[in-house]
Amino acid sequence: MTSAKDPNSIEWLGERLARKEDLRLVTGKGKYLADIVIPGTLHAVFVRSEYAHANITGIDLSEAESMPGVVAIYTGENIKDRINPMPQAIVQPNLPAKYPTFWPLAVGKVTFHGEPVALIIARDKYIAEDASELVLVDYEELPVVLDPEKALSRNSTVVHEKDGTNEIFSMTFTGGENEEAQNSNEAEVNAIFESAPVVVKERFKTHRTGLTPMEPRGVLCDWNESDGLTAYITTQRPHIDRLALSDILEISAEKVRVIAPRDQGGGFGVKAPFYRENIIIAYAAKSLGKPVRWIESRYESLMNVGQERDQINDMEIAADLEGNLLALRNKGIADNGVGTTGVYWGFVMPFLGAIELPNAYKWPKAHISLKVATTNKACLTPSRAFGHFPTRFALERCIDMVAHKIGMEASELRRNNLVDALPYTSVTNEYYDSGDFLKVWDTLVEKADISAFRKRQSEALNDNRYIGIGFGCGVELSGVASDLLVPMENQPGYGAATVRLDPRGKVQVFGGDAPGGQGHETTTAQVVASEFGIDPAAVVVTTGDTGTTPFGSGSIGARAGSYFVSAVADACRELKEKITRILAYDLKIEARTEHFEFTDGEVIYIGDRSKKSSFVSIVERIIMFPINLPENEVGGLDATAFFEAAKPMICFNADCCVVEVNIETGDFEILEWMTTEDVGNVINPMVVDGQMHGAIVQGISNAVFEEFVYDDQGQQLTADFENYKLATAADVPNIDIHYATTPCPHTPLGTRGIGEGRPSSIPGALTNAVCDALTPLKIEITELPLRPNSIWEKIQQAKQP
Amino acid sequence: MKNIKLTVNGEKFEEQIDNRLLLVDFLRDNLSLTGTHVGCTYEGVCGACTIHLDGDAVKSCMLLAVQADGHNVTTIEGLSADGGLTNLQQAFNDEHGLQCGYCTPGILMNMADFLTENPNPSEEQIRHGLIGNLCRCTGYVHIVRAVKKAAKMLKDSAHEDRT
Repeated sequence: MTSAKDPNSIEWLGERLARKEDLRLVTGKGKYLADIVIPGTLHAVFVRSEYAHANITGIDLSEAESMPGVVAIYTGENIKDRINPMPQAIVQPNLPAKYPTFWPLAVGKVTFHGEPVALIIARDKYIAEDASELVLVDYEELPVVLDPEKALSRNSTVVHEKDGTNEIFSMTFTGGENEEAQNSNEAEVNAIFESAPVVVKERFKTHRTGLTPMEPRGVLCDWNESDGLTAYITTQRPHIDRLALSDILEISAEKVRVIAPRDQGGGFGVKAPFYRENIIIAYAAKSLGKPVRWIESRYESLMNVGQERDQINDMEIAADLEGNLLALRNKGIADNGVGTTGVYWGFVMPFLGAIELPNAYKWPKAHISLKVATTNKACLTPSRAFGHFPTRFALERCIDMVAHKIGMEASELRRNNLVDALPYTSVTNEYYDSGDFLKVWDTLVEKADISAFRKRQSEALNDNRYIGIGFGCGVELSGVASDLLVPMENQPGYGAATVRLDPRGKVQVFGGDAPGGQGHETTTAQVVASEFGIDPAAVVVTTGDTGTTPFGSGSIGARAGSYFVSAVADACRELKEKITRILAYDLKIEARTEHFEFTDGEVIYIGDRSKKSSFVSIVERIIMFPINLPENEVGGLDATAFFEAAKPMICFNADCCVVEVNIETGDFEILEWMTTEDVGNVINPMVVDGQMHGAIVQGISNAVFEEFVYDDQGQQLTADFENYKLATAADVPNIDIHYATTPCPHTPLGTRGIGEGRPSSIPGALTNAVCDALTPLKIEITELPLRPNSIWEKIQQAKQP
Repeated sequence: MKNIKLTVNGEKFEEQIDNRLLLVDFLRDNLSLTGTHVGCTYEGVCGACTIHLDGDAVKSCMLLAVQADGHNVTTIEGLSADGGLTNLQQAFNDEHGLQCGYCTPGILMNMADFLTENPNPSEEQIRHGLIGNLCRCTGYVHIVRAVKKAAKMLKDSAHEDRT
């Protein structure tokens, strides 16, 4: 068939279409959770633990209860017989772990600084806050567990006594399913290390940091006997929250509706777990028969969520003198915090971080294991680059150290060892479906022009200026396949979308995921517009409401560009089949869907372009005038499609940066940041660029500025933005993006989901550049955060004879 | 309690309010102007609550409502006098200067004031001008680009007005 496409028609895929959601957002008309008003709403404020580990010996509510305007106060003791405790199957992974038992309010003892102890419900938020200060809690302090290595020792205090240990999770990821196979694999790896010409062995430490959406969390629950519970939650996975609320509060599922507001102020993983606050606010609304609202303060947010990355990785790499990687050995220890967060329990992030550790390199052999320790800190929360920010920092740093030992350009060593034939299954059994890693890498290296840089570097050094170049790369998940998501989170991975045409030829799309700024309304409209040959303005997208959308596991793991838009495209194509079947019948021609073109608001028979219908007319005819139809056809145009690729899918990126280090102060400046990515076919380049910019700057901000600090009593010292510093516009560089795309062969549009894993290659690339600048001093940095003071100390040590 | 009189987005209000009520809460809860956001919960760091007080960009979480007595307040809902998009708002749409949009009203209010004082800003000046606004989504790249574009649009429209 020849292509008869009108050259003047607009191809919506790949267009830099300005976003549809912006009009309301730039005029202050967005509706975020805190903007939703239900008359008569009561306000909730939590009383939170002042200690990291202590028995609760008494709670005196008398003063708070007598305050005018206070409606109710809940404590762990008065809810524990009325609410099912966690864990519950819907939010418990199919992974062997010691899941702690807990209620939304502390029962018996507190296990971290900031844990909810009591909940005040009042008519006004100022009164609720006043009353919360009148609650007197008596504590009996217990020894605190803060160091993950000590936590794993036999004589450590145990945080959750029923488990008898702080080891919440451990696993070996290489060698096979059973212990015998894993041990024999480890023995083979050990043998390689014994005879390898080059071995680098280091301990890498990454600090506690993560993501902090600008909109904190919030819950607004409404109850009536007839409809049941309506819960507005800042959440990335409303359908999972619905099932969890139903199970925990024993409300029959048809009486639970969860709505993630259309506008959410960022998620980045932080709004993906099922949180205890959801349970108690829903319980309060049901008990009181009145709407109840909790809006998290920034202080509470920084005390409780957005903390990840806290790992030690003892890593060893064996190589030969030509720069071939021979084996990888890594023993990880992760500081889990208390582990009382639904879906993730803290350890799910380091679990995936270990699986993703091998990255894009061909490892003939590897031994990778992980132990995760419970401590008296806030539970790890998923944060973009889920689990593998620490392992990738360690790996990318360690590879540079191997290159330094051999005397080779680190970028060349990387290229020599990149996976060059896809599909590929990694040493941890992760499946890489498609792409061209070398194309991505070579695009970056060409832009970086290393030989020119080395000349510039040596000239700079003559002027006593220290500049350096650093590289990093990352294989990232493009959506999370059921193969991985069922064991990891006890949830399906498929994408789901309903596409509904109306008699005026307009389109509604319904998705069960719940975005927080990724631009779903625009990119989805571009996909629909492209499929039907109509204007994206005619497409309206609804997400996040369990009352109207098909089941989806949530806006997680770059599922939009991979799974969700694929389901949208499949649903459109199902409708196109029906439209063309009926149109062919009306036109009295023998033709199938592929003989028609949907373009510029028309459906045209390619064999004779005079035979056509306007899109609106045929749609109206099928929905409103379903008479004289072909046999076995009925009217109506509405389709729900589920998409799942046969195997997991990935995307691949590489980063390069140039820095200048001030040798006197240890301060450094990022002079250039270049990035390449295989994003597959692009729906909207502006949106894709925005995802990359954001992720890269989050990586820089995490690596350099942010750190959650606990003192030796487990007191969290960084619960405000003065002390937990995020990068400002003046702190970060511009970013130079180059695409090196290969269409994904496993999605209907050739798209890949991108953006989720992106921050992970940043700290390695950045630290590699700083170390490269300091080559004359032979400095190797193995810890984050990357701060001027720690660099200065390294410089002083290196200068000592 | 105190009686205050003020003008918000050109409309006159007289309200009886609690002395301790923050200006941001007054705007959001009493006047239902929910485009002004709370991001750092009253630390004055994130800038999501930025408004104009007598034309100057200020953080409304750092003021009591009673301090606005007798003053002229503009919020994001009143940024455009004619109800359409200002050049600045249009530039943010054109250049994808926002993702989740939570910080955006505060950034727009701050940058509207900034561009009045700095009609020809350099990239460095824009980045420094944005220090009082935190954005977690965009990495600031497109925000900087949008502000640059807005400056050019404003200059071009001023030029057209003269000719």
